[in-house]
Amino acid sequence: MLIRTEGDVWTSLSPQQLQEHIEKGTAYISKLMKDGKLKSAAPLDKGSRIVTDDNGMIKDGPFNETKEVIAGYFHIVAKDMHEAVEIAKANPIFSDIPTKIEVHLMKAIGG
Amino acid sequence: MQDSLVEAIKQWTYKGIPENPSAWLFKVAKNKALNIVNREKYKRQYSSDVIHYMRSEWTAVPALDHFFSEEEILDDQLRMMFTCCHPSISSDSQVALTLKTLCGFSIPEIAKAFLTTEENIKKRLVRARQKIREDNIPFEVPQGKYLENRLGAVLETIYLLFNEGYSASKGNDLVRYELCEEAIRLTEIIAAQKSLQNKSNVYAILALMYLNACRFKARTGAHGRILTMAEQDRSLWNRSLMKNGFYYLEKSTVHKNLSIYHILAAISAQHCAAPDFESTDWKAILSLYDSLAQIDSSPVVLLNRAIALAKVAGASQALDELEKIKNNPAMASYHLFYSTKAEFHIQINEFQKACDCLKKAIDLSPLEAEKDLLKEKLDSCMKK
Repeated sequence: MLIRTEGDVWTSLSPQQLQEHIEKGTAYISKLMKDGKLKSAAPLDKGSRIVTDDNGMIKDGPFNETKEVIAGYFHIVAKDMHEAVEIAKANPIFSDIPTKIEVHLMKAIGG
Repeated sequence: MQDSLVEAIKQWTYKGIPENPSAWLFKVAKNKALNIVNREKYKRQYSSDVIHYMRSEWTAVPALDHFFSEEEILDDQLRMMFTCCHPSISSDSQVALTLKTLCGFSIPEIAKAFLTTEENIKKRLVRARQKIREDNIPFEVPQGKYLENRLGAVLETIYLLFNEGYSASKGNDLVRYELCEEAIRLTEIIAAQKSLQNKSNVYAILALMYLNACRFKARTGAHGRILTMAEQDRSLWNRSLMKNGFYYLEKSTVHKNLSIYHILAAISAQHCAAPDFESTDWKAILSLYDSLAQIDSSPVVLLNRAIALAKVAGASQALDELEKIKNNPAMASYHLFYSTKAEFHIQINEFQKACDCLKKAIDLSPLEAEKDLLKEKLDSCMKK
């Protein structure tokens, strides 16, 4: 029964405990980064890194910022595109553009 | 297997059903019983190439089932993954090949994972298969110390499997639970593998996965609408999964290993620890991205770093950072690059530029559900 590992001995997880764990993790990372810099002759174990060297390809990943904090575009579109169009309409510089924008976008999504 | 299922039910009864029983905690508890079903499911997706190359493995399966030494990998699916990741071909090719032949990934899905074209992936797979044929590379099940040097590629494969589940590139649902479950299941087995010495990266990737999975229930709202972190109801975050995440984060700090997994896990931990979105420690997250960028300066990392930078230093500076990566071919077709850029433009009231970026993001977005929702929203806007 795989998920029932030793993690279950943690019966509570107060904000303070969370902070402590985070600080430990952060300190660990900082220390290794520093050590890696100082001992340039002995870089971090290459096997443990995902490096994009000449032959290494760029990879996607479960990055929180693009995928959850901003989360694609339609959230912005749903709330702010309407706003964006309204603001554009109100600006005399864009007097003939607003209709074009809307039509343009509708075409773009195959509407 | 019957016993472990009974045991799981006993635990739930004794401790009480957790907040999200229908979610996958219970499913994971049933995994041992479901292994056989999973194996069958994946077997059907195997391509004929692999069946040819692994012919000896297939015929030997009944014999292998008798091995229970701790040098052996106890799970068929995992054993196959280790076998497929052969060090004679490049690491990226190992990963692409394994995703294709053992994880049921299509060429478009692999292309999205590597932020490249389907053509490139096809070429890569052809070259890999050619090399395997020409060099007569034998596919034998690795054991003991030979597991260690294949671990990197296997973990990368699992990482990309989880990523596809975390943020799908096709289909109707943004979050594909079953892929994340499978990724975690496989990694838990690796973590239990006695013959592996250094498990730091294994624990780190487990931390990363649990610390992201704990938020899954909160990520979709009414009508399947995707909720950003600011909108998510944090009371729906699964504390049990979060605990596991923090537990593995701790365990991952024992060796002198540092990987993208450690750092992304730490970033997700920062989000998990914030009581609300406004309390998010963006300085700490930016600092973590600074460290990550030194290990891995890929444009995807720098793109995500720019979002943290915008929170700390403002959208203008963040836009400057995007200028540095906009010409990278991987960014030219990445819809998240444009949605990110649009967000920064909106923050400094550059709405025309935001519209341009959003249009590009729409064009590039791979998910039909996003396009549908957009149509609805725009329709209702047009009627006003």
